[in-house]
Amino acid sequence: MIRKSGYKLTITFLITLLIFSIGLFSAIGTAKVSVGDIFKILLSKVPMIKNYVDLADIPSSSVTIIWNIRLPRVLLGALVGASLSIAGAAFQGMFKNPMADPYVIGISSGAALGATIAIVLKVNFILLGFSGISLFAFIGALATVLIVYNIARIKNKVPITTLLLAGVAVGQFLTAIMSFIMVISDRDMVKITYWTLGSLAGKGWEPVLKMTIPAILCMIVICFFARELNILLTGEESAQSLGIDVERIKTYILLLGTFITAISVSVSGIIGFVGLIIPHIVRLIFGPDHRILLPSSALLGSIFMIFADTLARTLISPIEIPVGIITALFGGPFFIYLLRTRKKSI
Amino acid sequence: MYAISVKDLEFGYREDLVLKKVSFNIRDGSFVSLIGPNGSGKSTLLKTLNNLYQPRGGSIRLYDRDLSSYKKRELARKIALVPQETNIDYDFTVEEIVMMGRHPYKKRFEMEDESDFKIVYEAMKMTNTLSLRDRLINQISGGERQRVIIAKALAQKPSIILLDEPTSNLDINHQMDILNLLKRLNRENGLTVILVIHDINLACRYSDQIIFLKDGQILGMGSPEEVVTIENMENAYNMKVAIERNKYTNTLHLTPIEIKDRGENKNKRVHIVCGGGSGQELINSLYSEGFQLSLGVLNVGDSDWELARSLNLPMVEEVPFSGISDEAHENNLRMLERVDMVVISNVPIGAGNLKNLLAAKEALEKGKRIFYIKDDDLEFDYTNGEALSLIGLMKERGMITLNSIDQLLDEI
Repeated sequence: MIRKSGYKLTITFLITLLIFSIGLFSAIGTAKVSVGDIFKILLSKVPMIKNYVDLADIPSSSVTIIWNIRLPRVLLGALVGASLSIAGAAFQGMFKNPMADPYVIGISSGAALGATIAIVLKVNFILLGFSGISLFAFIGALATVLIVYNIARIKNKVPITTLLLAGVAVGQFLTAIMSFIMVISDRDMVKITYWTLGSLAGKGWEPVLKMTIPAILCMIVICFFARELNILLTGEESAQSLGIDVERIKTYILLLGTFITAISVSVSGIIGFVGLIIPHIVRLIFGPDHRILLPSSALLGSIFMIFADTLARTLISPIEIPVGIITALFGGPFFIYLLRTRKKSI
Repeated sequence: MYAISVKDLEFGYREDLVLKKVSFNIRDGSFVSLIGPNGSGKSTLLKTLNNLYQPRGGSIRLYDRDLSSYKKRELARKIALVPQETNIDYDFTVEEIVMMGRHPYKKRFEMEDESDFKIVYEAMKMTNTLSLRDRLINQISGGERQRVIIAKALAQKPSIILLDEPTSNLDINHQMDILNLLKRLNRENGLTVILVIHDINLACRYSDQIIFLKDGQILGMGSPEEVVTIENMENAYNMKVAIERNKYTNTLHLTPIEIKDRGENKNKRVHIVCGGGSGQELINSLYSEGFQLSLGVLNVGDSDWELARSLNLPMVEEVPFSGISDEAHENNLRMLERVDMVVISNVPIGAGNLKNLLAAKEALEKGKRIFYIKDDDLEFDYTNGEALSLIGLMKERGMITLNSIDQLLDEI
């Protein structure tokens, strides 16, 4: 197990791996481009450096495909994957419940319903730099998490079983309402499929640019609470007696996790299981310390998401598979595995 | 100056108070045990001292300053709590857990430095957990874990340590081990130790001061000799005890002789008239209170009959779905002669089981105590008034009507 001294090494390694994955997965697709060319194209857009990059040997159509289609898509996938994973890791710590994940406990569905309502109502305002869609998604997500939490709570504990049941029930209900609204408003079943199963296709640079700053800020702030989350795992009374304002920390984590989920869902639809699988794998490798768990989950989540999305767009190309199907194909069996190994504690 | 000074403290989770006008002082550097029966408010009191619960009334002063005026982190540097539940189901190493005790001293972005590691090292050394430092907290024994949690508390560098039943669930050698450790910290480092403990003999052996709680009030406090008395034990635990001085430890030693109520119940024979499930709760509570029970007349297959049979209770039976025969009635009367009292449950009376009431009436006339439990206002008479007038008659002759089983338990 990697501990303490391995911290910087781990993070550096994962960042390198992420950069490499961005290059690799951008290169994969119908239009063949080498990984080296990907980085060339990337660097050609950076001020100062661009003068030293020669794109002459790359066909201009490839440059367009990479720059206008694949790169924004891969970066968006990285952001969404990181957001959902860090939200999952934070929720699992906060609820002291290894099954908590934005999708499983229904938050994603709440966010998607909020976003759908905003889209149908043609909400167009922008508040503090956030679009109306993101805000509606946030409100939907927050309302859902409060409902699920209150249904699942038994005194001050949130047992795994009740959290799962409440999350699934509320999530499915909200997804149904959402689909219903969409059927009525534009009768486009394909759109519903891509929205309820999640997709990163055809978004361009706009969502990437919009999401980057709030998502990364949010992740950094979540990492501020790593030590408190560690101590929370040892019990709330212990945490309180160590001078931690438990209720306040929980509220912060809840708001941050819900917010970052909402901004992801409002661009990509409901992508399930990422926030469940990734923190678990990280925990198995690096242990439960949130100081490593949170950033590593974000980084590994990015990598996993762009991997899954590459499968989604290449498996039966030119047909796109909603990426949520791919994550569920990995996540479903993993979820069952967790349930079985954790059976005793349920 | 007192380490802790509590005056007229009141606390309740809901409306009713768990702590009622509790007042005491704890000298700095003393070893104090909180004892008392379950539900007496010991743990609640301990947590109130750590400001985990806010008092409803009264005051707690910590080193001559109001407890609520301490900031959370500041308080965590003064008082450390070792909760009752120390099970941690995550793969933290022992050293990581102990390091968590440094939290109140660390700013948000501050990493642990040399001095923290030194303090953690000292805390593990004092608690004899150094050899465990790289083990995982969920893979060590209960006794080891308890020492690790105490090490974490020591890493907080507190002046006062509060422990909620630190010795429960431990083997007897580990119990001694923990208490010896606490005593040593108390003597050598001047740490004020306040702990909740069930074992009164251990409390007497280790404490300078004992606070004896009952029903959220202080029954007694002072030295073990002043507090652990035959009267207090009888009052709080309803138990006769012998108290002598242990010749090996020269501390008070208490030997339970017998529990008062239970012992008496054993000699009381109670006959229950019930049926159709009306006797379930009654049978269960009287059985668990230790009474000697008999029942009758019951139809075979009736739910009360099944319960009585599973408890192996003597009863007079009748074949299913038929009225009480003369033969069963005679048997019932014979059984009634041997009992001290009869309890009639809230059973509907019809022509079929009217004889049970007649039998009870006969017992009443022979001077036995009869109780009738009527816990609702529902119709029970299916004999066109015959049962009702019989009940009225029995009431006149001294049958006691009660509203609940609790009342019954108070009466008998």
